[in-house]
Amino acid sequence: MRLLLVEDNRELADWLGKTLRQANYVVDIVHEGEDVEHALAAGGHALVILDLALPRMGGLEVLRMLRARGNRVPVIVLTANASLDGRVKGLNEGADDYLAKPFQIEELEARIRAQLRRANDRTAPVVACGDLVFDTNTRLFSLAGEPLALTPREHAVLEQLMVKAGRTVSKAALSAAIYDFETDADPSAIEIYVHRVRKKLEGSRVQIATLRGLGYLLRHEDQ
Amino acid sequence: MKINSLRLQLLAWVVLPLAGLATINLWTSHGSALATANLVTDRMLLGSARTIAEQVAMTDGVLDATIPPAAIEMFDTGDRDSVYYHVKTARGRLLTGYPNLPEALTPSSTEATYRDHRLRLLTFSQGVVGAGKDSPISVTVGVTLAGHDAMVRRLWFGAFAQQLALVAIAGLFVLLGLHRGLAPLIRLRDAVRSPNRSDLDPVEVPGAQSEIRPLIEALNAYMARVRAQMASQRRFVANAAHQLRTPLALLSTQASYALRETVPDARHEALVALQASSGRLARLAEQLLTLSRAEPGSRRPRADRVDLTEAARQVLETHAPIAVSRNVDLGLEEAGPAPVIGDGTMLREMIVNLVDNALRYSSSGGSVTVRLAAVDGEAVLTVTDDGPGIPVEERDHVFERFYRIAGSTEEGSGLGLAIVREVVENAGGRVTLRDGAAGGLVVDVRLPLASS
Repeated sequence: MRLLLVEDNRELADWLGKTLRQANYVVDIVHEGEDVEHALAAGGHALVILDLALPRMGGLEVLRMLRARGNRVPVIVLTANASLDGRVKGLNEGADDYLAKPFQIEELEARIRAQLRRANDRTAPVVACGDLVFDTNTRLFSLAGEPLALTPREHAVLEQLMVKAGRTVSKAALSAAIYDFETDADPSAIEIYVHRVRKKLEGSRVQIATLRGLGYLLRHEDQ
Repeated sequence: MKINSLRLQLLAWVVLPLAGLATINLWTSHGSALATANLVTDRMLLGSARTIAEQVAMTDGVLDATIPPAAIEMFDTGDRDSVYYHVKTARGRLLTGYPNLPEALTPSSTEATYRDHRLRLLTFSQGVVGAGKDSPISVTVGVTLAGHDAMVRRLWFGAFAQQLALVAIAGLFVLLGLHRGLAPLIRLRDAVRSPNRSDLDPVEVPGAQSEIRPLIEALNAYMARVRAQMASQRRFVANAAHQLRTPLALLSTQASYALRETVPDARHEALVALQASSGRLARLAEQLLTLSRAEPGSRRPRADRVDLTEAARQVLETHAPIAVSRNVDLGLEEAGPAPVIGDGTMLREMIVNLVDNALRYSSSGGSVTVRLAAVDGEAVLTVTDDGPGIPVEERDHVFERFYRIAGSTEEGSGLGLAIVREVVENAGGRVTLRDGAAGGLVVDVRLPLASS
């Protein structure tokens, strides 16, 4: 899952990014409100974490702008202003949730998960496709009851396919979801990651099908 | 005895002098009562003596004196007075009456004692036709003083009752007037004391007199000042709490990261960062405390004699290690002592903030210079750095608390310059910003030199 973190305090942004990457999220960081639109233009972000107290273009303004352009990406607002007024304003402008600083990272993660579940029309924290299971709380895959070891990139690919299980995911969409800004997106590398994941799924009832010119599809044999 | 009640004081000031006047009045009225009683008694004595004298006549060649009953009965006023009399010839022969009764010197009356009674006596002489050498006869009438004294008492008690009533009524009116006059004060007290008054709203006392109005106005002005101070404190505390939230979120994030990280190097890196963050948070807390101390009214104003040069030297010595680690050339240029009057701790803290800022915004290889001079009766402390400087349009704002220049990447608290201004202005000086000769920022602090 690729997240966009908008926070002007560089240190907090860096460490939040590190911590979320630790949990196998793909995280992009911007420090200014003006950069949000450009960052989201690439697509692929499943959620935005938005600090309200940004210099120049404030968080609320960013939110207003996003919603005015019809962008429906889930937004969790971070605010150092815990006043009711501030929270209500944020939610009124189209935020999906808010979190007052200082917060525990566990709470932020739980709220991220809740928003992602809702965005994908899921209520259960565990996603299953045949004997492949993804626990969105621990963010770990298991295959036939055994933990499945994946590199961060492989994890990102499989997670994206898993979330859209039973539906086709285009190469471009997969690429947008797994690469952050710092990485040169290489569409041909996608094939390599898919190939590696396929190998790790060998012998199970789950497989990644290639649909030429369309993309990939995660399915299990019972379907 | 000291009287603390305004009512009692005013009452005492009105009633005591009045009572004194009444006492003098009573004393004089006692005299006049006595004079009146004397006059009345004397008239009666004279009337009685005349009546007796008129009855003295020569009957058959003998001088005869009969006492008409009316002459005695006129003294029967119900006070059981005894009447004594005698009638004597000019040669001293007693015609009738009590022997040995003392005689008064005509024409005035006199008081004497007879048969253990105090008497008022009057002697009246009258010639008798044909009495020869026995003429004139003298009639002496004396009366005991019961009726006289009763009259004095009656007259005097009447006056006494009048005076007493006067004083009492005056006292009553004083109390009544005080009650009415003090009512606005009582209402003011109740209004101030009222349990609903926690918000320091202005007090309104309808009907307050012109003497009490200034008190109410002063009270309201005082409460307005307190309210303003409380509001500024509240804003400060809210702002401070607000400013602590992001650093706390950072600490929590770094701690969580370190807890989850299994790679020793990465974990170590997180812990080092955590330590640095908590140091900065501690510095922020310290600055908040300094600022709250620098607020007017929060600390007893001190007037230490501080040598700014010496203070700057101490600050630079403690900051030297930071300068070295950042590869910044930190230097002091001074020309002897620069004594100023102010709060020593706060002045040092002011220099710390200036040097801290300069070091923070200087890039590696840059230089920071602290210069001290005495110019026109002022001590001038100049801190020069070669960092990015502050754009002209931002220079007014940077002294505001928590103000941070947009896009600034340095992790400042936004309090340093606010502290500097607060401290400098408290010490009667001023602080200005300007561009350095080769870019960077120059901060000039001017404080009045202490007279030597």
